[in-house]
Amino acid sequence: MDAWWQCEIPYPYVDQKILDASPSVRAVLPNRLCDPRLAADLFEEVMDEFALCDDLGMNIICIEHHAGINSLIGSNPVVSGMLARQTKKVRLLSLGTLISLRADPVRIAEEYATCDVMMRGRFDIGFVKSGGTEFASANQNPVNNEERFWEAIDLVTKTLTTRDGPFSWEGKHFTHRHVNIWPGPYQDPHPRMWAATGDPRSAGEVGRRDFRHVLVLRGPEGTKAAYAAHRKARADAGMPKATTDNFAYAALVYVGDTEEEGIAGGEKLLWFLNTSLKSAPQFNRFLPGAAPPAAAPGLYRTKPKAQVGIDMKDAEKGVTTASQNAQKLMSLTAREAMQQGILFAGNPDSVYRQIMEFYDKVGGFGHLALIGRSGPMTHAESKKGIRLFSSEVLPRLREVKDIEVG
Amino acid sequence: MSEVHAAPRIESVTIHGLKLEVLRHGAGEKLVFLHGFQQPDPGARWIQLLGRRAEVIAPSMPGFGASERPKDYESTYDVLNTLTGFLETLPGKVTLVGSSFGGWMAAELAVRSCERIARLVLVDALGIKVSDRTTPDILDVFNTLPALVKAATWHDEAKAPDLDEQTDEQLMMRHRNWESLAMYGWKPFLHNPRLNYWLPRISVPTLVLWGAADGIVKPAYGRAYAARIPGAIFAEIPAAGHHPEIEQPDAFADHLLGFIAR
Repeated sequence: MDAWWQCEIPYPYVDQKILDASPSVRAVLPNRLCDPRLAADLFEEVMDEFALCDDLGMNIICIEHHAGINSLIGSNPVVSGMLARQTKKVRLLSLGTLISLRADPVRIAEEYATCDVMMRGRFDIGFVKSGGTEFASANQNPVNNEERFWEAIDLVTKTLTTRDGPFSWEGKHFTHRHVNIWPGPYQDPHPRMWAATGDPRSAGEVGRRDFRHVLVLRGPEGTKAAYAAHRKARADAGMPKATTDNFAYAALVYVGDTEEEGIAGGEKLLWFLNTSLKSAPQFNRFLPGAAPPAAAPGLYRTKPKAQVGIDMKDAEKGVTTASQNAQKLMSLTAREAMQQGILFAGNPDSVYRQIMEFYDKVGGFGHLALIGRSGPMTHAESKKGIRLFSSEVLPRLREVKDIEVG
Repeated sequence: MSEVHAAPRIESVTIHGLKLEVLRHGAGEKLVFLHGFQQPDPGARWIQLLGRRAEVIAPSMPGFGASERPKDYESTYDVLNTLTGFLETLPGKVTLVGSSFGGWMAAELAVRSCERIARLVLVDALGIKVSDRTTPDILDVFNTLPALVKAATWHDEAKAPDLDEQTDEQLMMRHRNWESLAMYGWKPFLHNPRLNYWLPRISVPTLVLWGAADGIVKPAYGRAYAARIPGAIFAEIPAAGHHPEIEQPDAFADHLLGFIAR
């Protein structure tokens, strides 16, 4: 198993009273609440933490979110480009530019190819479907987002793999008559691709495309179901069985010298859930296209009869939507988060054991993504967690070899 | 005193392979009503009032009510082609009434051709850009708290439909209506930047009718709409928001029937 460290660069300095009074902590808070000098400090600290990961041999992930306290990385390609040069050894996964929100996937492919060339092939490309407030921030239609997502991936892939361009693309969502990027990617045919998605329908597509499949904070049941859908889709398509290398899981992770110190660090990470996920109804349950029509009675009614709709299993998806998942996550305690496989925290032995218990519950995975710094965690605490994880836990995880699954 | 009303008939019409649900009620001059964010409630009083003197014909637009929205049918281009086909199924000319989103569609149809339109009525219509580029004319109903959208929609919120009383099927339709509206009107937001330019082409008598308390699109927007259409009359209905037909059905019907009788 390999490990990948990430920090979304949250901005934990907005007064709690302001957060409590606002229906959403994303998309709607004016940016005068974000002091650029404090933001500069945060970027400097976290870039140093990424560099520390590079020194210690732990891969890194650069994410993207927009206009909220949860993350200052609104421009993934800029930060990925910096990390391309700041790191020397480890792999960097961009997870990722929110492709279905950008106007031109060709431009994204160009940015990614440039990163891959600068890194001489140490670059991975991750695709994230996006959701919630991001549609408001990006002014993009949420209704057919998933369709746009897959077409964007198709166009990015063709752009990266075409060596004898220009070629023309006249699709439903994107048209570009003269595609020919310079340089193309360093890796042949293209960097390893990942996708973060939880519902079985798109999980199957991730499997058929042989992407590395990452589940973020989904807990054992949702993760197991998504991995199973990935494997089943491959089997149905007559593809060879996947190995655990195809599967990844992202959790909040903090390692301390002692169990208490580790859990105390983990508690700070919970800020990600209990503070930074707050979002207004128009950005989640009433977001057009987000919930299936069958869920409508539960969404609109205010009286007990309401539960009829919301309790119905989403027949098409089988698991909860991302916004429903977020609602559940917001009220977790550290112990609950640990029991649910959302948080791995404690001393090195304990964290290793928690990871492997989760590994067994979901049928194995080859990559652990650590959400390692969030909320009020300090630079010093973050560096300590990175060091302890790299030296005490990661070597043991590396002993877990890829196996064929399904 | 209770009045005995015939219930509107719900029929189905197929236009270019797409099944449209159409509400019909009353007899007389044909009055085609294009709805706003929700298809009309067959039990609405304004339908009864208009039906005494006119034939109300109200199609649910594709993706609204029980009307289909086929795969890849995602734009007002599609909707306008369907509505053009629908008007062609009606013999003679009609009074075309459009409310809110339907008002936008009605104005688009009228600038293309008034051949099948005897009169045009725009009720709290969307569809044009009036103010400067940093002043939105239309409340961003998708990115605003639902409670604020509700407050902006109604003069008296007690007139809003009670969602707790609606059936599962009605709520699922509401959900789908919202999705269809977003599909057609997300960007540019519920308007066509070029429509304002073409409005002077409208060559039939036009009434622009507005709820005085509309907070989705304010009466000043309605006045600007009317000013672009040659000879258009502008009228406000007091104590009504975005849906004067629901909040003040009698005043609404009086305005419409008076306009038809002119």
